[in-house]
Amino acid sequence: MRHRLWLAAAASLALLAGCSSSGGTATDAGAPVSGGSLSWAVETEPITLNPHQYAQAKARLLVWNNFEALLTHDDKGGYVPWLATGYEVSPDGKTYTVKLRTGVTFSDGTKFDAAAVKANVDQLLADGYAPTVAAVQLKNLKNVEVVDPATIKYNLKQPDVLILDFLSSPQGAVVSPKSLKEAKNLKAGGPELAGTGPFILDKYTPGQELHYVKNPNYNWAPANAGHTGPAYLDEVTYRFLKESSVRVGALTSGQVQVIEGVPATDQAQITANPQLTLSKGLNSGSAYSYYFNTSHAPFDDIRVRQAFRDALDVDTVLQGVYRGTATRAWSVISPTSPLYDSSLEKTYGNDAAKANATLDAAGWSTRDAEGYRTKDGKRLTARLVQSAPFVRDRRDILAQAVQAAVKQSAGIDLKVSVVDQGTATKAIEDNQYEIFDNSRADTDAGAALNLLLRSDGAINRTGVQDTQLDSLLAAGEAGGDRVKTYGEIQQKVIAKDALIQPLYAPADQIASSKAVGGLGFEPTAGVPGNAYNVWLSK
Amino acid sequence: MLRRIGTGLVVLWAAATAAYLALLAAPGDTVDAIIGDGADTPLIRSQIIQEWHLDRPAVVQYLDFLWRALHGDLGRSYLLQRPVSEVIGGQLAPTLTLAFSAGVLGIVLALVLAVTTRRPWARRASSTLELVLVSTPPFLIGIILLSVFSFRLGLFPVSGDQGVAALVLPAVTLALPVAGVLTQVLRDGIDRALDEPFVVTARARGLGERAVLVRHALRHALLPTVTLIGWLFGILLGGAVIIETVFGRPGLGQVTLQAVTSEDMPVVLAVVVFSAFVYVLLNTLADLAYLIIDPRLRRS
Repeated sequence: MRHRLWLAAAASLALLAGCSSSGGTATDAGAPVSGGSLSWAVETEPITLNPHQYAQAKARLLVWNNFEALLTHDDKGGYVPWLATGYEVSPDGKTYTVKLRTGVTFSDGTKFDAAAVKANVDQLLADGYAPTVAAVQLKNLKNVEVVDPATIKYNLKQPDVLILDFLSSPQGAVVSPKSLKEAKNLKAGGPELAGTGPFILDKYTPGQELHYVKNPNYNWAPANAGHTGPAYLDEVTYRFLKESSVRVGALTSGQVQVIEGVPATDQAQITANPQLTLSKGLNSGSAYSYYFNTSHAPFDDIRVRQAFRDALDVDTVLQGVYRGTATRAWSVISPTSPLYDSSLEKTYGNDAAKANATLDAAGWSTRDAEGYRTKDGKRLTARLVQSAPFVRDRRDILAQAVQAAVKQSAGIDLKVSVVDQGTATKAIEDNQYEIFDNSRADTDAGAALNLLLRSDGAINRTGVQDTQLDSLLAAGEAGGDRVKTYGEIQQKVIAKDALIQPLYAPADQIASSKAVGGLGFEPTAGVPGNAYNVWLSK
Repeated sequence: MLRRIGTGLVVLWAAATAAYLALLAAPGDTVDAIIGDGADTPLIRSQIIQEWHLDRPAVVQYLDFLWRALHGDLGRSYLLQRPVSEVIGGQLAPTLTLAFSAGVLGIVLALVLAVTTRRPWARRASSTLELVLVSTPPFLIGIILLSVFSFRLGLFPVSGDQGVAALVLPAVTLALPVAGVLTQVLRDGIDRALDEPFVVTARARGLGERAVLVRHALRHALLPTVTLIGWLFGILLGGAVIIETVFGRPGLGQVTLQAVTSEDMPVVLAVVVFSAFVYVLLNTLADLAYLIIDPRLRRS
């Protein structure tokens, strides 16, 4: 054991809690008080309530109410022990030994120990249970070993620092082994799955709401949670209201005290009301970006990719669609990530003259009757296929704004189609697209880039096959100076190869009555936090 | 009667088969639908295929579906990972409550409007209102009603299946367009009936205008309206998709919407079969209703 990374030293934790407050800041709600019942309107009803099956960033605020992971993120790219007391990495980076908290129990009375953690990993690797977790997050895991009831060892096939990200992810949350065995609809989850969290899910009404009650025995909050002991609220009800105007109306009329998901068009209504507050958190992971398909014309030519970016004035487009509420992205990585390379800012784009000169030089020098550029009789067309069920943040409208912008400034024909999921998948499979749009909410941006940029990446839509890029990504995964490695990666894919057109950093918004205190965003993830630190002033 | 049941079963089978074929013909296969926009690797694909037995030929899967459906097993939802009977069963009551209240409210409104707005000015005002209601998207009606009665006046709660108060606004939203159409059909029927010779006879007998209208003309006008009952159900179920989303109500509409967008075949099939069943039931009821309304049909 080269160096010890036990993080449990109480003094350092106290310091950490002081600087990374995910909530608990002074508001009109005064000092925290216990008791009360809160209604919180959310946009998305989770597809599943089993944390192992988690796939919707919008469901993250719910997961952490009744489930917990071994570690959690701080706001500086590091980890804070949660159900663990600390961890230690072997010098070769292939063994992670995690010390566990003692005295923790699941809400069904089962004791939390190393065997319970192992039962969860075994379940994740079981055939047909969580294929995505097994194939992506646990791809480098060889096995787990129970050393003693309070110690568990993760043995890896090769060094992979992303295992820490897994240990702090919803998929890495620990479910009572008793529920894993007995639950009738294990993959769907629900009240029958017991966790260790500050709340207990006691009622799920599909299509309507989730109801949680306080776990009175809870006493193992992570150091950066804002307080210790049980949660302040006695009950929390999350109501599913898909329409943003209905959520805002429910808030302004006092039918709910908190809402999440406030689009640009509704934000003025909140800020104009002295009884309400609005706050915004930038998400982690990858920025919402257009990925150029380099496997065929026209984007196999780097000059066309550069010209597309020069043709586009991202700021103006965002202003038009989001009325100044969007944060522009300059890199594929979200600006809140510690791995973000800020030196890319203002280094490219919005230069129509340059775009036109580049396209002329690349042979797209003639124009057809509609004003689009052509080459050998073929129009400069880029097809963007959006899958309707996954369109959010008015990305379809944004695409139309981009379409108008690149047509006007450089004669590029961006063809946008919003289709059903099957048609979208087929377009990808048949390579019938030139631009792919996507953002990922992974807490560690490296996990997102592994999927998006590696030659064998599961969502590699640029078609890029670059061994240099692969080895950089592998180096970033193995650890070392990750800021430097991911800096090189961003320089390569954004500045040098122009593979990507970053657009904006996805964000979440919370609006609430001023009587509610302790609301905040989860460190690193940037999504609304759970209800642990939330209180309702009397 | 046996023949009726037989025809009904054939309709159910045809509906299920048509839905099955439509989903089969839709672009992308089931594995694509289950993967959605998530990570996609050969390992993930093979596990999904194995889990849902998708390696069998489409015909075998279809026959297997029919066989299990015959035994009352509707399968599991690909997306929600719960038995379909549970997914749908839990949502039936809220949707039926909503559809029934909206249906009754719509019919009562239509009857009252058609009978009371006989004077030319009232008739013009009512016709305009009906046209506006029929051509306004229910979504908009819902938002306007919510803004006024829930957000501003605080009379009704916005959401949920929480007693009568929460049912009022959704039911009214859904009932208004229904009332709009039915009123127009009814009024037209009454107009035509009033031109018939028997009305002259009735008046000659000394019947008051109201009695002529309600006892004779209205009865004639009801026949074409009852024929619309199948259509009514379609409107109510389709409207429920939107109303439930706007009002945050649980129900079949939301389940259907989610199942269709995610190509969740078992749920879509179950919803289609259920809808077909209700159609058959309602049309049978409509046929029986003809007998009650029109004594001339009873003899044949």
